[in-house]
Amino acid sequence: MRSTKKSILRNSTYILCALFFLGSCSSPATNRNYDEGKKDTQGTDTIVIAQMQFTPAELSVKPGDTVIWINNDMVDHDVTSDKKNFFYSDTIHVGKMWKMVVKDSASYHCSIHPTMQGRLILK
Amino acid sequence: MVISTGLLSLPVSAQKSQKLTDPEIASVAVTANQIDIGYANIAIKKTKNADVKKFAETMVKDHQAVIDKAVALVTKLKVTPKDNATSKAFLAGAEKTKAMLNSKTGAAFDKAYVDNEVSYHKAAINEVQNVLIPNATNGELKALLQSALPLFKEHLAHAEMIQKQLSK
Repeated sequence: MRSTKKSILRNSTYILCALFFLGSCSSPATNRNYDEGKKDTQGTDTIVIAQMQFTPAELSVKPGDTVIWINNDMVDHDVTSDKKNFFYSDTIHVGKMWKMVVKDSASYHCSIHPTMQGRLILK
Repeated sequence: MVISTGLLSLPVSAQKSQKLTDPEIASVAVTANQIDIGYANIAIKKTKNADVKKFAETMVKDHQAVIDKAVALVTKLKVTPKDNATSKAFLAGAEKTKAMLNSKTGAAFDKAYVDNEVSYHKAAINEVQNVLIPNATNGELKALLQSALPLFKEHLAHAEMIQKQLSK
């Protein structure tokens, strides 16, 4: 009986971890209104990608804050740190989003459209 | 004066004085995007330069996205794109440019392709800003053209970036 409970607990933990991991991947940006640069009560900031720009282009964040990039543009984009392999997203398709927990200040760009640039500044 | 790109081969006076209808504007918009996809497909086959290839692949995806939006809009509006002097002039210029690109290889091809991308996007931006947007009467068509403008401007800046790299 005890081992069954442990097994259920272990499986639940795996599922929770998997759900958390999936949360950092691209997902649909629907059913919610996002205001660019606005922080919600849970320390989440949003950067809107539209008209070939990251808005806001510069965002002040605290360590541990989550930043969500939402692609509201007419073409696909990505988020790639200027410093090699510091962080990078997969392709963020039109209407999708990608999120990341910020650990440090960083400049970034879209590797598909390299003239699009942004910056995260740690408070 | 006839320059190698499709758009620049149009007489400037004709571009300024022409009055296009919405079906004609839709035709010009789709044709101009298709032409750049055509150039990009030549580049994807011929170039050995990774940056040039990546740029060309982006041109295919981005211009196809604009075409898809335009086709969805004209379908919704029940508008049939109509060939006109401008779209025909684009196509005539594009045939000459494709022949020129196909005649080159190696670094000479890369330079010719990227130089053409710079001048083609400059001309496309000029056409969209000064002819297509002012002539569009349907609000959604005008909005689509306006939303495509930053994309074309980014393509121009990206092409100029590669042009600088190639000249080093």
